[in-house]
Amino acid sequence: MHRIILMLAIGFIAMMPIACSRESGSSSSAGEVVVYTSVDEVFARPIAEQFEKDTGIKVRLVPDTEETKSTGLLNRLIAEKQRPVADVFWSGDPVRAAILKQEGVSAPYRSPQAGGLPERFSDPDHHWTGFSARARILIYNTNLVPADQKPASVMDLLDERFEGRVCIANPLFGTTSMHAAALFDVLGEDKARAFFEGFIANGGRILSSNGEVRRRVAAGEFALGITDTDDFNVARIEGKPVAAVYPDAAPGTEGMGTLIIPNCAVLIAGAPNADNGKRFIDYLLRPQTEQRLAESEAAQMPVRSGVESPGHVTPLEQLPPMTVDYDKLAPLLEELSRGYLKQWVDRNLQ
Amino acid sequence: MISPLYLERPGWWRAVGLAVCFLSAIGFTLPLLWRAVSGSSGSSIGAPFASAVVTSMFAGGLVGAIALVFGLPAGVLAALYRLPGRSILLALVVLPALVPSFLWAIGWSALAIRVGPAAVDTINSMTGVILSLLSLALPIVVLTAFITTRGLTASQVDAARVCGGERAVLIHACRHAAPPAMLVAAIAGVLTLSDPGPGMIFGRRTVAADILTSFSAQYDFVLAGRQSVLLAAVVLVVTIPLIVTAGPRLVDAVMARQMHPVVPVRSTKMGAWGVTLFAIILFVTLLLPLTGLLLPLLGGIEYWRAFDALTRTGGNTLYYSLGAGLIAAMLGAVCGVFVGRSPRSRMLVFAAAMLVLIQPPALIALGLVELGSSAPPAADVLLRSRATVCLALAVRLFPIGALLGMRAFGGMAPSWAHAAAVHGVPLRRYLLRVVLPWLAPGTIAAALLVALLAAGDVGTVLLLHPPGFQSLPLNIFTVMANAPESLVASLCLIYILAAASVLMIAMLCLRGRSR
Repeated sequence: MHRIILMLAIGFIAMMPIACSRESGSSSSAGEVVVYTSVDEVFARPIAEQFEKDTGIKVRLVPDTEETKSTGLLNRLIAEKQRPVADVFWSGDPVRAAILKQEGVSAPYRSPQAGGLPERFSDPDHHWTGFSARARILIYNTNLVPADQKPASVMDLLDERFEGRVCIANPLFGTTSMHAAALFDVLGEDKARAFFEGFIANGGRILSSNGEVRRRVAAGEFALGITDTDDFNVARIEGKPVAAVYPDAAPGTEGMGTLIIPNCAVLIAGAPNADNGKRFIDYLLRPQTEQRLAESEAAQMPVRSGVESPGHVTPLEQLPPMTVDYDKLAPLLEELSRGYLKQWVDRNLQ
Repeated sequence: MISPLYLERPGWWRAVGLAVCFLSAIGFTLPLLWRAVSGSSGSSIGAPFASAVVTSMFAGGLVGAIALVFGLPAGVLAALYRLPGRSILLALVVLPALVPSFLWAIGWSALAIRVGPAAVDTINSMTGVILSLLSLALPIVVLTAFITTRGLTASQVDAARVCGGERAVLIHACRHAAPPAMLVAAIAGVLTLSDPGPGMIFGRRTVAADILTSFSAQYDFVLAGRQSVLLAAVVLVVTIPLIVTAGPRLVDAVMARQMHPVVPVRSTKMGAWGVTLFAIILFVTLLLPLTGLLLPLLGGIEYWRAFDALTRTGGNTLYYSLGAGLIAAMLGAVCGVFVGRSPRSRMLVFAAAMLVLIQPPALIALGLVELGSSAPPAADVLLRSRATVCLALAVRLFPIGALLGMRAFGGMAPSWAHAAAVHGVPLRRYLLRVVLPWLAPGTIAAALLVALLAAGDVGTVLLLHPPGFQSLPLNIFTVMANAPESLVASLCLIYILAAASVLMIAMLCLRGRSR
């Protein structure tokens, strides 16, 4: 009996490379496209499946999250640079896309579908093209914050009416890191540092992710936090007692504006299935995809004007956007991640 | 003709074989570590990292100590006395170790939010981190104490009983099991150092989280590599005294020998103590965090979405875990043959196993990614496929296979080789007819254990899985940020049920074998 089991085991190990030859060689065969994505899988997979149905091209999706518990796909893309596996990186924000450009991982591609998309959300050298966007929003618990005291600006995180009841995600990761870099870009170093120090002085807490901010504000542990529109929408669908405010965007005010975070499509340099990769990027940039993402649980805002979206998705043209150069945020973020932000996190995480 | 006695004699081939085994395990990381030591980084290792090391060592020490205080008596009682439902209790105690620690951390966090602000304040501190990490540490200490106590001979236990009753039996058994249990508790504490999940979730600065930040937020591999090297050095300095003092006892304890094993007896008082201890352990490591994790199911179970995820990922999860289990167990069995009966080699292998265990999993995975990237396409079958995931997981968990392999070979009577030599049996036939069948049960047990531990891995699979071949834990990890809570809870339920089923099947197989 033992010998039979042993032979079966040896057989299994011997067969492993043969069984694997199909998947390892698959990325170079026709009719497939390998897509790495930092967009949450629940939102990315339906689009990939629809692409498969519409084109017959098989999509091999490798998802990641903005959560802070992994070394992430970006490292994998950089490590695979010499002989890439991925054809496309569907990034949840432009900063990671800009990092890939810096590292020489991406290739320029000007999609014919990019025509109606605003140029301010795309790389001028066409290494990444922005489409459907999220926004950074203030999320507050409606049981804890009366309507007449609702926040209006990110600076309200420093207001004493929310003392000890405010939270943000770790600013070294995900969209919060991009938001932090944008604040340094827009406010200048002194004011931005004052914001982060004031946040701690007001009893603010650093949480692991935007999802955690949503969960704990919805649970009433915190009154106010900063997260992304897609996180808020999940809490809204679940019927949690939360509401959202687009910060610094109230009509008639002269705030710094709301940070808009477009998705970005990136073609990988030396992609094994470059043609299919381009077709996938073209597909992502279509108005129909923007509409689909607006109608999904992600509730993303179409950046192209004239695309229909549900009532709960605020049209982008109604928001005064924070004026930032996305391409410049990548080096700024790199500097901050090694400098002030790292020190700030080190000081304030026990 | 080569004599079977060759296996019982010292020789240069043993050292070469062991070197090959361990080099294949840590070889992937050497180029990366060299780059870390020789390269230049924009940042330096400063006081915050040192403070994170101290905090994590304190947390790891506390986890190890708590695991020892509860795990040692629980394991000893389970081995000596007939506890009601002992097999089920042992299986349930092992279950938390098979689930990724970040899920337990989320379970604790969710439960605290339901309970109220006081619970939230308590859990969002080092308490939460320690409670989550106990889910890994407690099971392995209980199992070690159980196995070591089962290593006592029936005559030893009977003699103690005649001399001083049950109290003397307990004291004798605890003294016998304490050194290995202490060492395993220390190993568990060391293992917690490479786990960033709970620290991240509860907002505490841990050394694993710091290294992760260097990797994934600062993209500074050189810094991360240096931090890993420094951590390994600190861990070695701290654990060397323990290895030197307690290592030989553990090595002796895991080495099987022919004897009449202790037979569990019925005792109402001891049985009650045992069940109480197991209840406390299960309450803390399984029931409470599981309740937090599954509470969203009260709003309904998402059968179809969870089933869809299972059909997409279940096969891959099984493939990765079984593949890793088989490779690690076979490498371990070979390692056991190379070690032979030399106590010095056993100690060396034990220390080397510790070195492999404390390596951050991402280091091995990124080493393989870089190797795959620079290798010719023909090597993709091994370096860029599902087999690569199995290989990386096996390398990480190979020390478990090595320890069980040493135990299996150590249990063979040397007289068998002598008898075979006297009768002119060639080495090949001796290996096929005697050694392999003898090593098989231990190898199968090692394969199952490694497979179960590998099934919960996320970091390695994320970095190495071929596109389209996710595992179930990785799927939970990637959807949990924005998926509805009920879907995440449904996936967790499926995963835990699957792990429990595999565990039960393994236990039934082992029970059948012992009969």
